[in-house]
Amino acid sequence: MTARLAGLAVLVVALALFPLVAAVYPVKLLQEILIWGVFAMSLDLLMGFAGMVSFGHSAFFGIGGYVAALTLVGSPGLVSALVLPALAAGLAALVIGFFSIRVSGVYFIMLTLAFSQMFYAYTFQVSWLGAEDGLVGIPRPAVWGLDVNGLRGFHAYLLVLVGLAALGLWRVVRSPFGHVLRGIHDNEARMEALGYAVDRYKLAAFVIAGVVAGVAGSLYVQFTGSITPDAFFWKTSGEALLMVIIGGTGTIGGALLGSAAFILLQSLVSTYTERWMLILGVTFVVFVLFAPGGIVGTVRDRAGLRA
Amino acid sequence: MGADLFAQALNGLAYGVLLFLLSVGLTLIFGMLDVVNLAHGSFYMLGAYTGLSLIGALGNFWVALLAAPLVVGLVGVAIERACLRRLYRRGPLDQVLLTFGLVYLFEDLVKWIWGGRIRSIPPPDLFSGSVTVLGATIPSYRLFVIGFGLVMALLLWLLIERTRLGAIIRAGVFDAEMTSGLGIDIDRVFTAVFGFGAALGGLSGVIAGPIQSAYPAMGVTILIPALIVVVVGGLGSLKGSLVGSLVIGQAETFGKAWIPGAAMLIIYVVMAAVMLVRPQGLFGRPLK
Amino acid sequence: MDHVTRRTFLGTAGLAAAGAAIGPWVLRASAQSGPVKIGLVLPYSGVYAVLGESITQGMELVFARENWTVAGRKIEMIKEDDEMQPPVGIRKTEKLIDSDKVDILTGPVHSGILMGMRDKVHNSKTILIVSNAGADAISRERCSKWIFRTSFSNWQPNYPMGEWVAKHVSKDVFIAAPNYQAGKDQLGAFKESFLPAGGKLVGEDYPKLGETDYAPYLTKMRQSGAKAVYCFFSGSDAVNFVKQYDQFGLKQSIKLTGAGFLTEPDVLPAQGKAALGAITGHFYTPLLDNQTNQRFVKEFQAKFAGKMPDGFACQGYDTAEVIVRALKAVNGNTQDKMKLVEVIEKSEFDSPRGRFRFDPKTHNVIQPFIYIREVKEVAGGLNNVPIDRVANVTDPGMGCTLPA
Repeated sequence: MTARLAGLAVLVVALALFPLVAAVYPVKLLQEILIWGVFAMSLDLLMGFAGMVSFGHSAFFGIGGYVAALTLVGSPGLVSALVLPALAAGLAALVIGFFSIRVSGVYFIMLTLAFSQMFYAYTFQVSWLGAEDGLVGIPRPAVWGLDVNGLRGFHAYLLVLVGLAALGLWRVVRSPFGHVLRGIHDNEARMEALGYAVDRYKLAAFVIAGVVAGVAGSLYVQFTGSITPDAFFWKTSGEALLMVIIGGTGTIGGALLGSAAFILLQSLVSTYTERWMLILGVTFVVFVLFAPGGIVGTVRDRAGLRA
Repeated sequence: MGADLFAQALNGLAYGVLLFLLSVGLTLIFGMLDVVNLAHGSFYMLGAYTGLSLIGALGNFWVALLAAPLVVGLVGVAIERACLRRLYRRGPLDQVLLTFGLVYLFEDLVKWIWGGRIRSIPPPDLFSGSVTVLGATIPSYRLFVIGFGLVMALLLWLLIERTRLGAIIRAGVFDAEMTSGLGIDIDRVFTAVFGFGAALGGLSGVIAGPIQSAYPAMGVTILIPALIVVVVGGLGSLKGSLVGSLVIGQAETFGKAWIPGAAMLIIYVVMAAVMLVRPQGLFGRPLK
Repeated sequence: MDHVTRRTFLGTAGLAAAGAAIGPWVLRASAQSGPVKIGLVLPYSGVYAVLGESITQGMELVFARENWTVAGRKIEMIKEDDEMQPPVGIRKTEKLIDSDKVDILTGPVHSGILMGMRDKVHNSKTILIVSNAGADAISRERCSKWIFRTSFSNWQPNYPMGEWVAKHVSKDVFIAAPNYQAGKDQLGAFKESFLPAGGKLVGEDYPKLGETDYAPYLTKMRQSGAKAVYCFFSGSDAVNFVKQYDQFGLKQSIKLTGAGFLTEPDVLPAQGKAALGAITGHFYTPLLDNQTNQRFVKEFQAKFAGKMPDGFACQGYDTAEVIVRALKAVNGNTQDKMKLVEVIEKSEFDSPRGRFRFDPKTHNVIQPFIYIREVKEVAGGLNNVPIDRVANVTDPGMGCTLPA
């Protein structure tokens, strides 16, 4: 336990100090990895703990992003940057979740997909949201005491938020609520027989995941200053899915590793070869066949930490 | 006005039949193997490109129509034996990852072999003009597609409902363990079904080729409509696949004609509506 | 077996990742006497890779002619695949600006990527020469002193066609384009000159982007009584629309016209005879008979295995010409960016499309001509034959103040 904490502390310090030792591009790459990592972590709560495989998680990422884009232009503060996107995403998750929870398995996958695609179609075609080019020129929020427009200021701001998100999710997962979720994942019928209002728990998990995804979307907008309908596209959901699986489902932290692996693969490999899609595909296939626990699962197996 | 409606209905029928041919293989694989095969679109794409090459080499559409699905079916068999069969017990997550990886792989492979340009697949000489039926002008090839698709539906129904093989498949869809317990080599059946489903996907690619052309991203683009039809019709149901695709075909066609701007949304709205009223799809097995 | 496999896999993956991670940042040359770095943000994978390749080839033709050296400095092209996705495109732009420290940035194809990179480019005072994306906004309210465009604005190929179609084809026209901003902008430009010329819109439809079945729209067109159709489609949409237009037998009674992308060489081979007779407006066709173009076509085909150059290759060619001439004019001094911008602004030379000039008000290219072309069978196959032309097409550029 202490070893784990120490390792974690070292990691956090390394992440924090990274801008001091690395050049601009690697730092920005890391920041993007962290942001997508938050998105993937929220999906892991849903998938890995509640057992709900959603292919429409990008809906909340996109909503958080677009709401942040719209509000930051008018009033660039933390309320616009964090509170409003989270609220909007949470509300959407409540509505979408209410309808989607009624089905499960493949049907759940497809229904959640349908909802996110509807958002995609809408934002793609209406001009008040910038149509297919989306919204640009979005300022970062003013954070007291920090120069968020500078690389290091933003890095500190981002790290704090990512840390809070990770911590928050970790606490949720460790709490009684989280245990009920895992129980539902293991055997839903049993939990129902024990008297748990299973649907309410699932909805709550869906909303929490949606809120965190919305924050991730907002962070993305603050990072790049722009957003396009691609945020809603099913491939975005699919990529988060892949990040969770590669990192290791049901580990929360694994999602960050998965995000790093995916983004590095996507960005670096394509710099060197045109055949990056082939390499990506082969990597996934190899992963599935030989490293089924994802990165975290495989590492744990080697270190003998899991049965 | 009547001629207008009839013309659009005919368009919708042709489109619906294409959807049926595309989705029937997917629903069989879903239903029997419980496998989330995201690479089904890739089979469709491979069918189109193989058809393209065969037509180019042999100059005959009909031979390509027969041969291309066989090739794609073999590819399907190879994939099932090499990787997919290890994942039957592992559940949907790993299958998603594997088949998603295959999607990337095939898209790049196709681009590597055939180049990235859009390729046109010529319709057979017999059906290369347009005809006017009851005041509606429609390319004769689309009439062929309608006929072909309906005949295929009948043949498949006969296969599944009236043959021993079909009985085995139906039993396997219902309960694979029991079927295995009855002494049937379920592994062989699984491989055969997967290959057959892949071949059907490939067939739909060849048939759709003269209408929709061939390009490396087509496997990805066609995936969503295919999945939606399967879900609307009900997993594993041949009847559902047919009815679902015909319904969606009409909905999409009339939606495009009458409600401008909604074209992107129609198929999702239809799916969401069906799922909210009947979550298992039109003809799927009840869920709980 | 499994243990070894996992360990080997993880180990190799780790090494590969580390190597790939460290690699590019270890090599970083610095400014003056080193090579002039030209960054390219283009699609090199996916459907639009053919455009990225054409543009790149046009540029390579020019740089190769200069032996990859200008004003005593080597030219280094750094190509980055943006995969036609804004998040990736923006990331690659940052890499080129922050990490590679390119002297001049070029690209992209995707307007969404262009809009997303605009602020980054402007704020970092990086010179960007847009070699494809046609978003009107970049020459209007989002223009910048640091951004030039050698390709076209979406407005340019369409505006002259409005009046021309009304005068020479028909006044009863049905228009169509994919349902996205670029599509609406292009048709908007057409309407701007079509309606005042007495044109009547018999119908207007916006199929979804990436539509594969145009049957409902084609049936509507036939039923509308239109004498001509004007449309904007590109890529696979252009192939499917034109082929299905022909399959439905519409060509006999309704003339097909559109913006040039409808029948460009990236789609014409797939369309085949279905495209015969289509009339489109574009700033280029390989059949132009000016001297520069004839030489361009010959050299391009010689260098790239007989490939026919298209508008995209011409865009790349012009981009590289602008760069080469500017570098010569400043004697290779890429440190004084303001001077470089001034020199680029004054670019003027013979391009395959005609006499090339930038509009000093918007930094957008002034199309010497928009050629009206008809698809015909000529020696060597199907091609866009120029049948008429409109001179000096300049984007109106409203709202552009060229901030620095």
